[in-house]
Amino acid sequence: MHELSLAIEIGRLAEERLGASVARCVTVGVEVGADSGVEPSALEFCLEAVLSYPPWTGAKPAITRPGGDALQLTYLEVEDDDSPND
Amino acid sequence: MTVRTIEVRERVMARNDELAAGVRARLAEHGVVALNLMSSPGSGKTTLLERTLAVLGEPLDIAVVTGDCQTQNDADRLAAHTARLVQAVVTGGACHLDALQLSDALDHIDLGKTRLIIVENVGNLVCPASWDLGEKSRVILFAVTEGEDKPLKYPKMFEKADWVVITKTDLLPHVPFDVERAVRYCLQINPRLQFIHISAMTGHGMNAWFDFLRQSIRPLAGV
Repeated sequence: MHELSLAIEIGRLAEERLGASVARCVTVGVEVGADSGVEPSALEFCLEAVLSYPPWTGAKPAITRPGGDALQLTYLEVEDDDSPND
Repeated sequence: MTVRTIEVRERVMARNDELAAGVRARLAEHGVVALNLMSSPGSGKTTLLERTLAVLGEPLDIAVVTGDCQTQNDADRLAAHTARLVQAVVTGGACHLDALQLSDALDHIDLGKTRLIIVENVGNLVCPASWDLGEKSRVILFAVTEGEDKPLKYPKMFEKADWVVITKTDLLPHVPFDVERAVRYCLQINPRLQFIHISAMTGHGMNAWFDFLRQSIRPLAGV
């Protein structure tokens, strides 16, 4: 069940990138290659668990399945407050 | 509210691989070779290491790092056979060792007085395959009490390995294991695999294993 280790590492990488914006993150995009040796549904389950704890406020994992053995954090979606002028 | 997308494209294993590169550099600096011993639970890793330490522990300056989810039973068993260091890593439930754990274990080993480190990974044919520890070679133990098709069921482990040690050969008369078929399946997954056949109980084939260990450290021995 190494998907939990991977989910924790994905959370760490994302926190490193987002800093204080982590609480406003809504989507964590992850690529899980077909030959990566990772079970996507298990990883999704573990990611949901990791993202349900502070500083996360329930961001959702979005897993895509390209070919090859890639396993990477591809993108993060963050909700920004609109400026009063918008 | 507007949603902003931040491109990241960062490999999840990048940090482990960096740590593994650090382990590799540290070992190279001291002329130490590490072997990563992997298998399913019960294939005979600890028994093989008991026999190995009794014969070669001192001559080859071997240190052992054992990884288990719980208990340091393996480390205690091995310590009875050698004055050499046996370092236990209890993973607390994790299914594999990672490079950070090996790096921490190295802090407790006198690398200046060590030539060979054998890492007894957590018994598991899936997860350890994904974690580079900084080892020189990966060795899979494959017991004749298992099914011949293990390489087909767990291909990643065999794809990433260098050697396969077929263990418990003394049991061959009592089990339906077809060695030729097992070897064929291994080579089907990874044609570069090399094989050693042993029985740690009777000593059959152990000299080939000992020669392999001597050979593993030879390129660095004169440095």
